[in-house]
Order: sequence, then structure tokens, then C-alpha cells
Amino acid sequence: MKRKMAISLMLTAVICSSTLLGGCSSGTSGETKSGSGEQNGKIELEFWNVFTGSDGDILKEIVNNYNETNTDNIQINMDIMPNDTLQQKLPAAIATNTAPDLVLFGVENIAPYVANDSLEDISDFWETADVDESNFLDNVVELSYVDGKLYGTPMQYNVSYLYWNKDLFEAAGLDPETPPATLDELADFAEKCTDASKNQYGLALPVQTTYMQFLWANGGDADDPETGTNLLDSEENLATLQWLQDLAVNKKVTPVNSTGSDCDAMLQAGQIAMYFSGPWQINGLREQGINFGIAPCPAGTDGAYSPAGGCSYVIPKGTDQETKEAAYKFMKYWLSDEVLKEWSQKNGFPVWSETLMEDPEIQNDEVLSAISEATQIGRSYNLGYSLASQIDNDVMFPMFEKVLTGAASPEDALKEASAAMDTVLAGSN
Amino acid sequence: MKRKKKYQPHNQKAAYLFILPSMVILTVFVFIPLIASLVISLLNMNIFMNDISFAGLANFRKLFSDSRVSNATLNTVVFSLFQVPLQVGLALLLSMYVAKNNKYTKMLRSIYYLPFVCSMTAIGIVWSMLLDPNLGLVPYWLKQIGLESISFLKDPSLAMPTVIVITAWKGFGYTLTLITAAVLNISPSLYEAADIDGASAWTKFTHITIPGIFPTISFCIVTTTISSLQVFDQTYVMTQGGPLYKTETLVQYIYDRGFQTAPYDLGYASAISVYLFAIIAVVTFVLRKVVLNKGEESDA
Amino acid sequence: MRKKFSVGNTVGFILTFLVALTILIPIFWLIVSAFKTDAGVISYPPRFFPDEWTINQFKYVTDSIPIFRMLGNTVIFSGCVTVISVLFDSMAGYAFARMNFKGKKMIFSIILLTMMVPFQVIMTPLYIEVYKLNLLDTYLGLILPRATSAYGIYMMASFFQGLPKSIEESGRIDGMGEFRIFWSLMLPLCKPAVASLAIFHFMNNWNDLLYPLMLTSSASMRTLSAGLAVLVGNKVIKYGPTLAATLISILPLLILYIFFQRYFVEGIAAGGEKE
Repeated sequence: MKRKMAISLMLTAVICSSTLLGGCSSGTSGETKSGSGEQNGKIELEFWNVFTGSDGDILKEIVNNYNETNTDNIQINMDIMPNDTLQQKLPAAIATNTAPDLVLFGVENIAPYVANDSLEDISDFWETADVDESNFLDNVVELSYVDGKLYGTPMQYNVSYLYWNKDLFEAAGLDPETPPATLDELADFAEKCTDASKNQYGLALPVQTTYMQFLWANGGDADDPETGTNLLDSEENLATLQWLQDLAVNKKVTPVNSTGSDCDAMLQAGQIAMYFSGPWQINGLREQGINFGIAPCPAGTDGAYSPAGGCSYVIPKGTDQETKEAAYKFMKYWLSDEVLKEWSQKNGFPVWSETLMEDPEIQNDEVLSAISEATQIGRSYNLGYSLASQIDNDVMFPMFEKVLTGAASPEDALKEASAAMDTVLAGSN
Repeated sequence: MKRKKKYQPHNQKAAYLFILPSMVILTVFVFIPLIASLVISLLNMNIFMNDISFAGLANFRKLFSDSRVSNATLNTVVFSLFQVPLQVGLALLLSMYVAKNNKYTKMLRSIYYLPFVCSMTAIGIVWSMLLDPNLGLVPYWLKQIGLESISFLKDPSLAMPTVIVITAWKGFGYTLTLITAAVLNISPSLYEAADIDGASAWTKFTHITIPGIFPTISFCIVTTTISSLQVFDQTYVMTQGGPLYKTETLVQYIYDRGFQTAPYDLGYASAISVYLFAIIAVVTFVLRKVVLNKGEESDA
Repeated sequence: MRKKFSVGNTVGFILTFLVALTILIPIFWLIVSAFKTDAGVISYPPRFFPDEWTINQFKYVTDSIPIFRMLGNTVIFSGCVTVISVLFDSMAGYAFARMNFKGKKMIFSIILLTMMVPFQVIMTPLYIEVYKLNLLDTYLGLILPRATSAYGIYMMASFFQGLPKSIEESGRIDGMGEFRIFWSLMLPLCKPAVASLAIFHFMNNWNDLLYPLMLTSSASMRTLSAGLAVLVGNKVIKYGPTLAATLISILPLLILYIFFQRYFVEGIAAGGEKE
């Protein structure tokens, strides 16, 4: 205890001396957050998010619309920044009490932030804002809970889907309307659609990503976040990795060592027959006039699964009650069928509101119904686990990269990854 | 190394006034954060800054058993070892041709400076797209003339050389400008005198040009080395440290540990920073000793 | 006149020309590619020139972000930093090069040490400090931490070192004060160095990404390069607008450079021609 005090005193001294040297005083700030607050009765909400790119445009539209039409005198000032920047600024901003009032980020961030006591507990949201929790799919809402407490409200939800290029299927002599249903078919189709001379690939498998859908399909897994158990070193995983290396290295169905964004571009250019990705591909593919379909992840010996993800609105710690209530109002606005529908229709994200699923327009939307169906096999991969991103960076990314590029045999890659996993899991205690 | 111990009092007071503004700013905005960083390296502390506890040297012990630190150290050293000579050497070589004033050389100097004007982000985007193995023009052209398709930034053995060449390509124009300025500042009478003595071009180069521009070259070597040991932007934009960590440098790893990968371990990131700082300080010290000694020799 | 070796000159001509091409071709490619359609940017086989010229990418950029406001911010930020930093750097550099005072060597070594600090290392403490000074999201908060640089001091010191002692002594005989000697005698002799340092500072701050992103928290205070970073998609990169944004971010500097460069080259030439 005393030690802790001494350390924080030291830090404070360092920082205060800088204040003195600078000749300025910080006395007035620090009590209330800059930016937020009331101005001629208007409640201003500072809102940070990571929606760069085209979905950010649609989000901006919705927020602007809210600013113009809301009757609660709420004004939302939106600042979009790259995810990296948000991760650098937000914790420091929360620590210095300069955080925004509302943040929108990936649900995988909630657990680490909660572990560091940096988000407001909003368990009273459903009651205070008068929103019916049961109208939303459980597996979606669940992602914003940590230890039984609510820390965010869902904004969007998705899993990973299999995109396939119908024209390339047809050119390879396959039925353009039948996507692969099993991993064996996936491998078979991928080989048939690959034509190196045309720089055309059957199945893009970028690096710096994970392939949980393959591990799960054959009954394998990475870890159990509940108990902190390492599940990597299994016969099932080894078989899956061998199959994956055979596809990538021997059959050369994927562009070597490509990143996700490289593959996105090639998919849009019509150079890739099959690809696993989220709904954010849809708009780009439509714009490029690619004749594509969306299917669920194919099944292996154990069934078909797909890693889930999503984004939630959260309120940083230290936000005062009045601002918090204003933020609730916007969260409620987002959860209205009208807004959720606009978001799904414009972006191709699946629908997770019961009342909206009944909506005839949604039911008749070909892409949305395909994607909603493919969403049912969603499974959580370390969501809500504070070590998730470390496991990805230190264990899973290098393992898949070594397997896909042939830098290591599946046996060695798995062994190495399993050891790395032990280190990460041990570091948590 | 004997120095006059005599300080003129008025001169001294003026000198302190001259350096005062810079000293205040550097103290507040560099020293103090740096000291804070040193303190943080001894703590268990993440970016959220609560739950802080004293860690002693635990972060440093961890550092020496972390294989990504040794990998990043190696990458950083390799980068500097090749990038600095390449950039300064290229600048020196080309300056021999462009260090005169006519329309063509003036134009060349302007062109060489262009990449330096552009941000590393812009350069990174352009080269990543041009060198992309699937959609880029350069591999496509190479294929057209019958060469194997080369994936410059994606191939584990080529990624680092590519990053080195692009960095040198971006920076040599600046080095060249400084060297050219120094060459043009050498008094022409020295060359005239050498001509009268019948000296060869090589003799003139080694006996007049090199000594004349030596302070500038040593300045370039020292500053380029320091910035090359801090290499970050180019790998961040073009490779993100990959493939297979082959381009992960120390700053890149610090950034990753502190700001990209939860639990955002600032204590550990600061410990690696201190380690990097020590490397840079030692290298600079040695380099200055070597370069300055050389300079004195060539003066004699 | 120096003798000319025609073989050496031909080799030199070819070499320098080839190096120039490696610079001109990518820049030219960027300029024409910013006018490609989305499909044109990622088409296979790749083509150098657009099949179809369009200005849609620029429209997309200007519609998405307040580009002129950001341009203004960038000019204010880089301009102020350049003027202040060049002044302070030259003053300090001059003192280290031409004056004797107690602790000079040690202070100079410490300044050199600060050059070795990567920004990432001090990023978080700096953020907290700027916040404590109540300067977050202000021009002053952006400018002040950059108002001097170890690199600039080092650079100016090495230029001042090269000047002959006789000049300042003549000033002292004329009874000039130390600042007058610096300002009206010594500094004008360093014009090329001052110009090159000014360009250096202006560009660095114009192009900087992490620093302005860190110290500003509203879109209206963003600088151009930081603002344009937002356009590059998070999950899906939009290559078309990215190229247009890249061109927009470097274009003002390129244009400015063309003007500055003339002055710069002439400054160096003037230095070179004097006896």
C-alpha cells in the first residue's frame, strides 16, 4: 500500500513539476470534462468511434439525422479515428478525465476495459431507457455483458461468411449457385477455381488473421477462456493445420503471404473465387459489379461454426449522470427498428431484433436473408476474454502464418503455438 | 583536448539566454516525459493507469527472455547497418555528379528531394500498391519481361531489404542536399591550386573534397543512424512488422505492446524503450568518437 | 576550371537519370491513379493510366471530411512550429558553436540524448502533460512541444562551427551586442542552413500523423494528414479515395516546394560561389 502511494506521488511530482515549469496552472480543469456539458440548454455528447471508410458515412448520416430530429435537445459531436489511435487515446483520456461521453468500438474491447475499471456499468439501461431486452437475440446482447453486468448496448453483430464469385465458379465448370457445404468440397472447389496463369485464386487465405471456423469444424479449439485452459495441442487441430498447409502450400489456392486488405482488393477485382469475411465486403462488391453469393462457413467432421463479432456503444468511466442519460437516449434511438433496419439494409449486416425479423422488406431482401441464415452458426472466440488480443497476436497469428506460408511444418507450428499459449495464459495470473 | 578555462562573463550570460528557450521546451516536453517513462519501466502499469504497483526490475528480466525482443533488436540493427551506408553512400556518390550548378544538376537535385517532401504514409501507400504481387505494376512488368513474379514486401527474405531500399530512396535526397551544399562551399581556389600542382581527380577528391565536407558527412551519419534505430513509420505502413516478424523493429514492438495489444502493458513497453534508448546512446557515443577521431586525422 | 572526363560524365549522367526516374515514375503514377475509378485502381492486369478518367475520388474525399478547415489547421501548426523552432534552434545552436560557458559540453550531450528518444516512448506522459497544462486540442498545445528540436540545434551548431572567427570579432570591435552579432552578422551567413532547416521542420510537421492525432480530440482541430488517415478504411481499404487523399496531402507541399526549392538552390549556389 505504502509503496503504491509512493509511486503515485512520484508520478504526480514529475507531472506537477512540469506544470510549474510550463508556468501554467491546471487548477480549473479536471473537474468536468472538456467538450461535454450544457450550452444554452443543449446537451452535447462527444462521441468517438472507429468507423473509418464507407460505413462511417452511413453512421454519420444517422447521427446527423438524430441531431436534427431529436426533441431532447441533444447534440452529438462525432469524431472518427483509426482503431489504433482510439486504443492509444481512450485509456489515457479516461485516466485524465478527458474521455468522450460515448464510444463505439468492437465488443472484444469491452472485457479489457472493464478489467481496468474504465467503463460505466449501465445495467439499469433497459429499465431507465425503457427498451425491451427480450426483443434482441440473446447471443448478441450477451456480448456486452461482463460478469452479469451490462457495459454496452449492441450496435451491430456479425459472423464470418463465405463469399463466392459465381462467374469464376461457372468458368471452372462448377454450379454457380452451389457453394461448398463441407471442407472437402471447399478444398476441391478451391483447386478447380485456381488458375495461376491468370493470377486467379480459388480461396484467399490471408495472414494476420485466425481460422477458427476450420479448427472448430473438425472438433478442435484454441483455449477455454472460462478456465484459462490451453486446448491447442490436439490431434484434431493438427489434422486441420495439415489440411490447411496442403491447400495453401501444395495446391497453391491462395495468393502467398497476402494481408486481409490485399485479398479484399483482389476479391473486388474478381481474382478470387472464395473468401471468408464479414458483411463489410458487400458494398464494395456491389459497387464493382461482382456476381457473388454469401454462404455459411462449410462444415467439417464436427459441424459448422463461424467466429462472431460485433460493435457496442459504451460509456467511459467518469461520465456524469445527466450526460449518461442523454447517451441512453441515443442508444435507445439506435435500437429502434427504424434505425437498425436502415443500418442493415445499407450495410448488409444481419438483423438481430425479433420484431425486425418479421419485417416483410427484410424477409424479401436476398442478401439479408442469406446473411441472417449464415449468422446462426455464430460462436464466440474469446469474446469477453481480456487476453483475447494477446492470444491472437502472440499465438494464433504466427501459427496460421507459418502453416500458410510453409515456414514451419504443422507439427512444429502447433507445438510452438501451444508453448506460446501457455506463456500467455500463465502471464494472466 | 586542452580548453581555455577563461569565460568572459558577459559572453556567458548571453550564452545562457541564447539557449534558454530551447532548454525550457526540451525540459518540459522531452526530459520530463522521458523520466516519467523511466519510472514507468519499474512499475506494473498498463495504459489505464490504475492498479499500479512497483515491479522492480521484473520488466527488464522479462525483456531478456523475450524472443520477440531479440528478434526486433536484430532487425533494427540489420536495418541500420544497411540503410545508413546505403543512404549516405548513394547521396555521396550522386553528389559528385550534381554538386555543380547547371540547369540539369539543379533539376536533378530538386527531383531527388521530392520523396523526402512526401510523408512516409504516402510513400508507403504508393510503394505497397506498386509492389503488390497480385495487383501491382512492378511485379507485373517483371513478369512481362519473363522474370519470376516477385513479392517484394510479402516474401520473408525480401521484405527487410525492400524496406531498407525504400527508406534510403526516400531520405537520400536530403542527405545529398546537405552534402552538395558543403561541396559547393569549398573554396574553388583550393582546386585551382591542386590543378597547378597537377593533382589527379582522385587526389583532389580524397584530399580536398572529403576533408571539406567531413563535418557534414559525420553529421549525416550520426543523425541518420539515430533515426534509423528508431525506424517505425515505414514498417508500420508497409508491413506491420510482418511477414513472420521479419520486419518487426524495436519501436514497432514497443508500440505493439503498449498500444496495440491488450492488456496494453505500459510498464513493459517502457522497459523496452529504456533498453532501446541505451542501445541508441551507446551507438551514438561510439559513432561520434569514431567519426570525430577520423575527422581529426583527416584534418591533419 | 576542373577537367572533365567524358566517360565518367556519361556514366554519371545515366546513373543520375535512372535514379531520377525511380522517383518520377511513382509520383507520376500516383497523380494519374488518383483519377482512376475504383475498378481501375484494382484491375488486373494493372494499367498505368486510367481507362476512364474521373474526379469522383476527390469528390468523395471533400464530401467526407472538412478538408479546407484541416488544411488551415495544418498551415497554422506547421507554419508556427517552423518559425519558432528555427529561431530557437539557431539561437541555441549558435551558443553551442560560438560561445563558451559552464556546462556547455554536458548540456549539449544531453540535448543530443533527447534526439534518441522515439516519440512512442514519451507519447503517453506527453499527453498527460499537455492535458495538465490545459492545452489539449488547442493550437498552442500542438505547437509548444515542437517549438524547438534537438536535431535543429545540432544542425545549426555544425553550420555555425564552419564560419570564420573574424566575423564576430569585427562585430565585437564595432561594439555590437551578442544578439546583434548573431542576428545581423552570423545568421545571414547561414541562410542555406536556415532554409533547409525550415523546410525540414515544415515538412515533418506537415506530414506527421501520430502526434497531431494524439493531441487533438475533435475533427475541427485535425491536421490534414491526420484527417486523411480517417479515410483509409478500417476493415476494407478503399483504394480509390486513399490515392486521392494521398495526392491531396502531398500536393500543397509539392507546390510549395517548387517555389522554395528555387530559393533553396540559389541560396546554396550563392554560398558556393563566394570566395
